[in-house]
Amino acid sequence: MNEHPISLVVTDDRRRSRLTVFFRLLLVLPHIFWLELWGIVVAVVALLNWLVALIIGRPAKPFQHFIGAFIRYAVHVLAYALLIANPFPGFTGVPGSYPVDLEVPSEPEKQNRLKTFFRIILFYPAAILGGILLYVLYIVGFLGWWAALFTGRMPRGLRDLGANSIRYYGQIYGYLLLLTGRYPNSSPYFGMKFESAPAAAIEAAPLPEPELVSVPEPVEPPAAPEPPAAPEPPEPPAAPEPPAAPETPEPPA
Amino acid sequence: MASSTRRPLKLVLFAIFAGGWVVAAYFLWRTEVPSDLKLRGVDLRSLFSPHQLHDAERFSLVDSLLSLGGIILLVVVLGLYARYGHRFMKESAAGPIGTGMMLAMLGLALVWLAMLPIGLLQTWWWGRHGLIEADYVGWISGSWGALGGEFLFICLTILIVMGFARLVGASWWLIGAPVFVGIVTLFTFAQPYMTPLEPLKNPVLVAASDRIARDEGVEGVPVKVVNMATYTTAPNAEAMGLGPSRRVVLWDTMLDGRFSNPAVETVIAHEYAHQRQNHLWKMIAWFALFTIAIAYLIARLTRGRGGMAVPAAVPLFLFVWIVFPLVTQPLNMAFSRRMEAEADWIALQTTRDPGAAKQLFEGFVKTTDSDPSPPVWSTLLFDSHPTLEDRIAMVDAWQARNGG
Repeated sequence: MNEHPISLVVTDDRRRSRLTVFFRLLLVLPHIFWLELWGIVVAVVALLNWLVALIIGRPAKPFQHFIGAFIRYAVHVLAYALLIANPFPGFTGVPGSYPVDLEVPSEPEKQNRLKTFFRIILFYPAAILGGILLYVLYIVGFLGWWAALFTGRMPRGLRDLGANSIRYYGQIYGYLLLLTGRYPNSSPYFGMKFESAPAAAIEAAPLPEPELVSVPEPVEPPAAPEPPAAPEPPEPPAAPEPPAAPETPEPPA
Repeated sequence: MASSTRRPLKLVLFAIFAGGWVVAAYFLWRTEVPSDLKLRGVDLRSLFSPHQLHDAERFSLVDSLLSLGGIILLVVVLGLYARYGHRFMKESAAGPIGTGMMLAMLGLALVWLAMLPIGLLQTWWWGRHGLIEADYVGWISGSWGALGGEFLFICLTILIVMGFARLVGASWWLIGAPVFVGIVTLFTFAQPYMTPLEPLKNPVLVAASDRIARDEGVEGVPVKVVNMATYTTAPNAEAMGLGPSRRVVLWDTMLDGRFSNPAVETVIAHEYAHQRQNHLWKMIAWFALFTIAIAYLIARLTRGRGGMAVPAAVPLFLFVWIVFPLVTQPLNMAFSRRMEAEADWIALQTTRDPGAAKQLFEGFVKTTDSDPSPPVWSTLLFDSHPTLEDRIAMVDAWQARNGG
């Protein structure tokens, strides 16, 4: 099972514009500025949301949407800054508007009041891992910058490593800010949805086991001499999705 | 209203607007320098050695040529970007205003890249003449940081322009221009609070500045010192702030012993004169006149690209926004020179010490390698102050009028 209420959808094609890569750290400045401003409001809303969740046992729906949009936007900005995605992101965190997008629950879920009360303490173990992943993200950004600048593409391994780290960030902040009561999952590919399967998964992950298909029990032959109705052939197990065709390299500039 | 009556009405409105513009410019243009003041040529060879004059001439000429090259390059890059820049729209997943911001930032980024060699050459040239330390890596990182600031500013500009264009349509410039003027006024007011300033410690200069401020009617405006010696050896001073934030700011390079106290007092009197004559307000008003004109021009020119409500118009916007002020630069520089001349004149009237003023201007030539008599084209395009020859000539003229 790789379901988590908060998951990352990656539809990025790994092509990068060299000009925007070169100036990426500066191009992201207005977003950082906006993120800071929005973050101040979110801090207040999160506190209110926490109180609401303690009282009624679930977050308030408008707060859920507001905080969800903020975390999604932060993921867009992080993905842009660290070259996990190419296009300049929008400023509103609209779902489905970015090639590296965070899916968050739109409806508030019932949450245990005790866990809600101690949420900030429960958040810490995940935050420690998040702190380590931050260094991973820096390395991804640094190496990816050079690679993308020279080749016009982001190496798949780096992109996927970065996407996974960002996904984990989305989950820990989604957990802290009560978007879900489900604890962040540090397992790679847990809560990841790649449009094309990540290279590492193809190479290393065991082939998915074919789903067990229940074979219909043989129908008792009727007493009549008519030929027994042939049981419907079982549906073939769902074949694992083939890896995406290798992308054609961009011609050198 | 029928279009046959709308057109004459528009023309009348335009004529009233243009007339108001000219009248406002005329009033801003006036100064206290006597209109019959005749500046006579100065025998520069009696003041400076041939070697000094040669060095100053060469330094200023190369510096001006580099600046001119920079302007030409800027126009070419922005022209090309105005033509082809919209192609970068595909690099954005943002909405119209976000995409506009990205296009504007990319335009400035390309300008930065193109201007990099010119900036490095200027750093080398200034370093060669001892005005700065030729630290190329430091210069690149500094200008990179400054580019970040430009990015934030252009994003705010695009937000205002496109925001109003999307709200009110083609008349955005009527609201947008006053908003820009408001922002510039705010920055001018806040600048002294954003600059790390130290109090003036020299007791002789403190006493002199109090006296000068009283004589010029600007008591209570303090004199402060800013550290610039870390970056340059060039001496300078400036008037900052508006209303309660008004300051006279001396660069510490003015106080390192190369200039006598009377010469520094002339500088203080000059800067106080800027405050007395409300030159910063006048500069804002001048800026307002041109901002209204430029905003109107942008609104007209970008119509063909769908107007400023759509991001495709942003590269053209950037071209007009940056190139139009270059076209009007000779006029702006002339306006600035008039205000500086007025400040020089008032400083002479206050200190009544032409010897100190002469020593100051001669010191500028010696410490900055500035050409006292640069080519006319260079003065028209780049000089915000009268030439040093003219400033010395004004001292002579003042002396002649006052029985010197």
